[in-house]
Amino acid sequence: MNSKINADIKSIKFIFNRNKPYLLSSSIIFACIILFFQFIIPQFKTMLSAQKELREASLRLEILKENLNILTNTDENSLDQQIKLLNQTLPLSKDFAAILSSIYYVSSKTGVGLGSFSLRVGDLSKSEKNDKFPIISLSVPVNSDVAGVNSFVATISKTLPLSEITLIKIGDQTSTINLSFYYKPLGGYSDNTGARINSISQKGLALINKLKGFDNGFSDAMPIATSSSFIIK
Amino acid sequence: MSADINLLLNKDEQEIKRLWRVKTLNFVAVMLLIGLGVISLFIFLLIQVISSSSIKKEQDDVLRKISQFKNREAKLFIQDNRINNITEILAKRKDLSKVSSVLLAKIPNRLFVESLTVDDKTVSMTTQSTSLLSIGEFINNLTDMVRKKDTIKSLTIVTLVFDETRNSYQVSVKSDLML
Repeated sequence: MNSKINADIKSIKFIFNRNKPYLLSSSIIFACIILFFQFIIPQFKTMLSAQKELREASLRLEILKENLNILTNTDENSLDQQIKLLNQTLPLSKDFAAILSSIYYVSSKTGVGLGSFSLRVGDLSKSEKNDKFPIISLSVPVNSDVAGVNSFVATISKTLPLSEITLIKIGDQTSTINLSFYYKPLGGYSDNTGARINSISQKGLALINKLKGFDNGFSDAMPIATSSSFIIK
Repeated sequence: MSADINLLLNKDEQEIKRLWRVKTLNFVAVMLLIGLGVISLFIFLLIQVISSSSIKKEQDDVLRKISQFKNREAKLFIQDNRINNITEILAKRKDLSKVSSVLLAKIPNRLFVESLTVDDKTVSMTTQSTSLLSIGEFINNLTDMVRKKDTIKSLTIVTLVFDETRNSYQVSVKSDLML
């Protein structure tokens, strides 16, 4: 079937003239619909993102104000003392002097004689940043009876720097104590100005007070090396 | 032919309907245009009101003040870092000194410790005495500790021998630690 539509000029003019009054308003309505999708919706999205940005900026400002408040109210002298104690507890690097003086201090405090012992320094060129808690291990021969060894072990576990006893071996003639001294490089400090600064918590203060009760052999004089004293390999 | 018969609508009535349609359409178009303009203006004003520029200005001011305390900020970071690490070490650290103290406290007077080995998992002890009663008391004490889950969780008597040369009994025990 031929579905061709024949429209001559006269017919078109007739239709145009008949619908002419609707033309303007229909065009305006059509333009409004286009404007709504092209202009109002993006503008609305802009408004939502501006609102989000405002919320984030307000939050960041609040954090910054809290940070400023913490920084201005922190007593720097007290902070320095706390950091000193904390660094003595967990040194930033291999602190052999602190380890040796700790052992010497405990030895003299408990009256326990020590034999020759060595520190395993390890590969100094190797990075320790990946280790969770790097340690320096040493095996200390002790010339004492059971009570003396026990006293030595109890005292060194409450002496700075922080150590862990991994083996206690009390024999008939000699006794041996294996110790691991902890240290931890700082690492990971980035100047992130938007990050929240934490002031010391109650838990942190309790820890510092606990550590104040620990013995600190570093303040005492260092031992003078003798033939039966310390060897660093 | 009768003039009353007319299948088409009255011409005026048709014109009125048409005019009403045009007016309605015009009204809708104008209202849409005005509505669009009002909404657009409202959103524009809202964006201006909620602009974060004043907050950013305040932020810059606070940041400038904070920059004077950079040293203190770094110290607080170190303090926080050390506290977290020390807390973690103290939580995971096994206190063998406590183990040896607790075990030695359970040793009766007439019993002598020949050897004691404590590591992070087990404890082995060899003691000797001239009296079997002391050895029995010692084993009872250790058994009580296992029952109460105090420091040790198991007890194995490895050997119990009589040493003729020293005229004494020697007992070796091994336990798994609760740590």
